[in-house]
Amino acid sequence: MTQPLLKVDNLSKSFGGLAVISEVSFEVPAGGRLALIGPNGAGKTTMFNLLTGVYRQDVGTVTLDGEVIDAYPSRARIGLGMARSFQNIRLMPHLSVVENVMLGQQSRAKGWRDFISPVTAFGRSAAYREAEDLLAAMNIETRPGDVVATLPYGIRKKIEVVRALAAKPKLLLLDEPAAGLNAVETASLRDFLLQIADTGVTLLVVEHDMSLVRSLCTSTVVLNFGRKIYDGPVSKVHEDPQVLEAYLGPRHAGEKEPAHV
Amino acid sequence: MSGYWIGLITILSINVIFAYGIFLAVATGQLNLGGAGFQALGAYAAAYLAMEMDQPLVVTIAAGMIVAGVIGFAISFPILRLKGVYLVLGTFAFAEVVAGLILNSDALGGATGLPVPTFIDWDVPAIAAIVVALLVFWLMSTRFGLVVRSVHDDEVVADLMGVNVRMVRVCAFALGAALAGLSGALYAHAFSFVEIQVFNASLSIYVLLYVLLGGAQTAWGPLFGAAFFTLLPEALRDTLPALKEAVFGTLGIEGASNPPDESWRFVILGVATVLMMIFRPEGLITRTLVERLRPLNRAPRRAPAEAAE
Amino acid sequence: MLLLQQIANGLMLGSVYVTVAVAFTLTISILNFLNFTIPTLFMLAGMVGWSLAFWGLPFGLSGPLPWPLALAGGVVVAVIASLIVERFTFRYLKTRYGDSTEHAIPLVSSLGFLLILENLVRIEHGSDAQRFPGPSADLTLSLAGIHLRLPQVVSLVVVVFLVLGLVWMMKSSRIGRMLRAIAENPDAAGILGIETRRVVPIVFMLTGMLCGLAGALFAVNYGEVSPQMGEDIGSKAIAGMVVGGLGSLWGAVAGGVIIGLIEMMTIHWAGADTVQATVWGALLITLLLRPQGLFGHHAIGKGKL
Repeated sequence: MTQPLLKVDNLSKSFGGLAVISEVSFEVPAGGRLALIGPNGAGKTTMFNLLTGVYRQDVGTVTLDGEVIDAYPSRARIGLGMARSFQNIRLMPHLSVVENVMLGQQSRAKGWRDFISPVTAFGRSAAYREAEDLLAAMNIETRPGDVVATLPYGIRKKIEVVRALAAKPKLLLLDEPAAGLNAVETASLRDFLLQIADTGVTLLVVEHDMSLVRSLCTSTVVLNFGRKIYDGPVSKVHEDPQVLEAYLGPRHAGEKEPAHV
Repeated sequence: MSGYWIGLITILSINVIFAYGIFLAVATGQLNLGGAGFQALGAYAAAYLAMEMDQPLVVTIAAGMIVAGVIGFAISFPILRLKGVYLVLGTFAFAEVVAGLILNSDALGGATGLPVPTFIDWDVPAIAAIVVALLVFWLMSTRFGLVVRSVHDDEVVADLMGVNVRMVRVCAFALGAALAGLSGALYAHAFSFVEIQVFNASLSIYVLLYVLLGGAQTAWGPLFGAAFFTLLPEALRDTLPALKEAVFGTLGIEGASNPPDESWRFVILGVATVLMMIFRPEGLITRTLVERLRPLNRAPRRAPAEAAE
Repeated sequence: MLLLQQIANGLMLGSVYVTVAVAFTLTISILNFLNFTIPTLFMLAGMVGWSLAFWGLPFGLSGPLPWPLALAGGVVVAVIASLIVERFTFRYLKTRYGDSTEHAIPLVSSLGFLLILENLVRIEHGSDAQRFPGPSADLTLSLAGIHLRLPQVVSLVVVVFLVLGLVWMMKSSRIGRMLRAIAENPDAAGILGIETRRVVPIVFMLTGMLCGLAGALFAVNYGEVSPQMGEDIGSKAIAGMVVGGLGSLWGAVAGGVIIGLIEMMTIHWAGADTVQATVWGALLITLLLRPQGLFGHHAIGKGKL
């Protein structure tokens, strides 16, 4: 069995005595599409912050593509092949669309010469064209010079994902990509993400929208109060009594799970 | 060319370079309220080398840049650890300490100042200003410029994208300090005299304000800001008597005791600042404005799949 | 004996710094706003007081006013100016993007107002220092060989009561509780039913009163006012605030006194020219080594320093 792309091993994190993540372990195979779900406050975004190095775990290790990455500061992790998007869109408001995507290329910029050659002005540089091509390949319809603040929400969500893609990551962490999108936009997003997955990128998605989870992901890990309570195929998660109890309360253990959790 | 215009071009050039020096720090999100300190370092370095050590122009001006840049680099490490209000105070304190040290240094002339041999005419500062402006435009168009603007907008995300936020801030600050030093060295030779009273807190305030007025999002901002500030007295020359009469008339104040005309310029700078912060805090020239004026905002690229349909 | 005298003088000087430092620290801790207009308000009170005592009311409404009335007028003008500053700076803070420089919008506006007020005064009265016609008798107390001029003692007493009053107000009064709630979390304060828009001007009113009072005390104690007096006091007050600790009332007191003492010692041992470097040097070192000062809280500004 080939090694998994991402291996989270016995991760724990407390903030001032409150355990936010407790002894969580799971794996994501290369090319896989895993959903990280759970009720609000279960620790999903904290998990992302641990993986990207924004927080330092108290116990446990994270291994990416065979290499233990705990010693790397947050700044270095994107260079290891892990890029993320954010729950509240965090694009640079005063940069244009293309410039935002070019920021994603930053971890691939090598050497000082790369740093001081013009990328955004007279004549389009290779980096600029690459960013434009990526946007086009992802069917993002905007003028490349548009300053981000003027664009609609759904498009900005996609641009943020494209920015993460510009780093050519092996693993893409998506934090609630469908938040704030209606059904039509969510379907469009699903196709968008499947297209990305087809290129070989592994997806780890935090989501509340179960229809997106079911149509996009193959397996899922469920967190509740910082602990893992389910780790398996998406198709079976609605049958699991512990999951039902977590979402619906002890009395509803026999009911069907809701569409939106 | 008349002496008046020569003087104006000289001052404008020096102010443009000074503005770019402060701009580089502000572009990364650090408000540098200590500009006068770095300008003083450059001015006095040049003055001292010219006066006491008979160095040629090239050496003194280069030294002005280097001294200010190196000290800026060194001080940026501790100072840039401070955030927000503390950072502004730190830069302000730094400039005051520099001024205080020079004031008490007999070798540097103390309160009397230093004369500076080797006069330079308007062409040297003007050429320098053009070179510096081109340099900053180029710099802001590079990946470094991209990263600078990212750090300003969202340093947490910039860090997660792989940017060394600390080093970007330090480099921008130090480079800005060097430019401020350059403006000081040019000042020293253009005016043949340096005295520390010139490089005061008010000067730091003026330059920061006109950089913010012009706009710190693009390299056009400092040009406009410096031009506004420098040419304001010129614009006022015709309207000032009428303005004075109007204001005094309304306030009914009698016997205004010889108001220094200089002061009106600062009142207007102050009013412009207050208004700008209310209506358009990003400054006059913003990224959006530049984009809209750009003739080549191309049509969206059609994806290959769509084209095939 | 001379040393004790110097210490006494330092304390007197410090009391002026304390008042202005308290104004700074109140504004910063409650509103996260470094208000650069504060030294200008101090100067305004002094200059307007002098103008009223020398010329009388504008539009020729009266002859020269007696000095207590003139100073009261100065304080009133300072308060009005402070409220105008509130109306045009702080009211307009809009955090749209959350980027690094947004917190500084009111700060920059206050710099603008500094220029406006200071230069309007210069235009009206020129740049020279003016003698303030204070109390005529030179009343001096002698305490254990130290000479204390009566105005200085009065200043000290006034300042002590003022600070105690402020501390009491912040701790125990309804207004104080509201102000502390706003300092803690401005958004939550709104939800709790505190009308921020009505309460914030109170801070500015206090600022105007404190600075006005400090200016009046200064004019009486030193008999001299000038358009430059704000810069000098401002730097010492800011240094006092930082050394004592941003956000702490008692810190402002301690800091103001310390700076006053440092100033006196420096003048005594190294001459007046070194005061600027020493005071600002103390500030810089505090910022670099222990930014929270002696008594300050480490996180100023609601998470976004």
